[in-house]
Amino acid sequence: MSAPEPSEQREDVPDIKVKKLFRKTTFGVFMLFGAIGLSTSILNVYTVDTHLSEEYISNSKGIAKTIADASVDILLNRDLAALQSLIDQFLEIQGIRYIYITDESGEFIAHTFVPGIPEEILQGDPLSTETVERTLAGMGDFVEVGSPILAGVAGTVHVGMDRGLIALKIQRAIGQQMWLFVVVGAIGVVAAIWLVNLAAKPMARLMAYAVSLARDDETTDAELLDRNDEVGHLARLFRHFASRRKPGSDGS
Amino acid sequence: MLTRRTLLAISLIAPWIRVRAANGFGGVSDDEFILGTSAAFSGPSRGLGIELYRGAMAYFEHINRAGGISGRRIRQTIYDDGYQPDPAVQNSTTLMLDDDVFLLFGYVGTPTVTRVLPLLKKFQDRDMFLFFPFTGAAPQREPPYGDFAFNLRASYGQETAGLVDNFVAVGRRRIAVFYQADAYGRSGWAGVRKALARHGERIVGEATYQRGSKFTSVMRRQVEILKDRNPEAVICIGSYAACAAFARDAVDLGLNVPLANLSFVGSENMLKLLSEGRDDAERYTQLLVNSQVVPSYEDVSIPAVREYREFMARYNPEVPAQLVTEEYTPFPHSFVSLEGFLDAKLLVEILRRLGDNPSREGLEQAVFTIRDFDLGIGEMVSFAPDRRQGLQGVYYTVVDEGRFVTLDDWERRFANVGA
Repeated sequence: MSAPEPSEQREDVPDIKVKKLFRKTTFGVFMLFGAIGLSTSILNVYTVDTHLSEEYISNSKGIAKTIADASVDILLNRDLAALQSLIDQFLEIQGIRYIYITDESGEFIAHTFVPGIPEEILQGDPLSTETVERTLAGMGDFVEVGSPILAGVAGTVHVGMDRGLIALKIQRAIGQQMWLFVVVGAIGVVAAIWLVNLAAKPMARLMAYAVSLARDDETTDAELLDRNDEVGHLARLFRHFASRRKPGSDGS
Repeated sequence: MLTRRTLLAISLIAPWIRVRAANGFGGVSDDEFILGTSAAFSGPSRGLGIELYRGAMAYFEHINRAGGISGRRIRQTIYDDGYQPDPAVQNSTTLMLDDDVFLLFGYVGTPTVTRVLPLLKKFQDRDMFLFFPFTGAAPQREPPYGDFAFNLRASYGQETAGLVDNFVAVGRRRIAVFYQADAYGRSGWAGVRKALARHGERIVGEATYQRGSKFTSVMRRQVEILKDRNPEAVICIGSYAACAAFARDAVDLGLNVPLANLSFVGSENMLKLLSEGRDDAERYTQLLVNSQVVPSYEDVSIPAVREYREFMARYNPEVPAQLVTEEYTPFPHSFVSLEGFLDAKLLVEILRRLGDNPSREGLEQAVFTIRDFDLGIGEMVSFAPDRRQGLQGVYYTVVDEGRFVTLDDWERRFANVGA
């Protein structure tokens, strides 16, 4: 009975084992990137959300204080039209949705609300300068910061920042970072697959060569045997053991 | 609408003017005075800029055809700001620095003028003054910018005080305010608040609208807000399109109280919006009471009114084609164009008093020589360093038979309204 063709032997046995190794390695790479991605995303979302929210609130407080400082002279010396003109200009800053100023008695003396001052704000404490979160019917969610005018004896300034816009900006910032991560991750996975493939191919050839030796196949793989690496050494070693195993050879 | 800066080619020698501007000719030459204007010629308030311009041009045209002032014709370099502050600032900068005009004249609106005033202070070394802006707001009447402007018309404070006093006099003490959410609206709101405080009252309710609102805007929410406060009168501080929309919705929703408007509203434009194409127009106009800062153009017993009507008919000034970007049919006569006419008449007198060698440096002193000057409306005009507003009179008008007429009897007019 004749022995099977060497090429048939090479395709069957060794390839299956290398594919398993390849799959395991690829799965491992995916898992690793997944774990890194998930943990980084959670940390990223938390960090960006916290920092941007703090930054917006800090900016709002700065704007409220700027208006409060600028209002002193206007309140004491000038017409309320000038005060309204002042706050209208600040309303052009992105994220600021409303501004209102109350005098020391709590009366609303300038504001930017259309069609009117919301009931939620009318019912609140107009002299408080605490940072509060508000939901105004028909307008949305806001973070409102306050600043006293002349230490509070001349009134208070309140600035409402659009939480929806802040959330949108945070989402965008996170989205941009996630895109970067996905791109880097994809490149990493492709590179890992290529590297694994690079190692798997010579291994498959070595295994095929080893099987052919075991079946006393006379076929040689010159390219494999000429390799100057671990695979080449192993191939030559297999050939050496195979030659010693043959009858009449040295050491048999 | 975004900025549309349209340079008026009213002067056929515009390039020449620019060349001379670079040489610092100061806006005056041997044959002309160059006046700089930024006003609303587009957008929902374009009627104000157009009418004010037409009234002023009627008088300027008469002077120019008669040979000008000591041989100097009056020309205007005009930009459209659409009643928006940023274009107004940009236009004014161009007028002062590039066009090098002699003075600023014919501006329209509080939010625009309020933002331009700091420019005048910034460039005070150029002796640039703003003459007779179409606004009754306080910023150009008081420090720190009052020294850079001269006003002819009464203030919003005077208009609102007059309205409040008259309403209170007929027993309507619960007064609400509907106003434009900007400096103009706030100026009127402050005037109402101050006037009510003198009577021991407060504003009972307030509602606002966005500047630039059109007649097609729905003001239902604003009406509901005010109606909840049960006012006995509403004072509106806005432009004609928005105030007409509010009056329409107020009537439709049963807010049956007097609806007062300030002079800035542009009464004829408002009446046109409420009347055009309606068989029941009276239903929408009978509640209106509009304050004016010039007498009725229907009263031909007033010499200046006769002169105004004659010049408007004779010259029928048209807005230069370059500025016409939206459809507008001008009125033969209007309170706004009459005000523009009187502004021009007084300005011509001031320019005359500059003598044969006019310069910006002499402008302020020339204004202060105006003492008890008769404009022809029965009220003498005077200026002084501490008096930078020429007229103090406020007139009240209501709609009768489709036109605005002087209101003589508040009690009788509103006796049954809201009863």
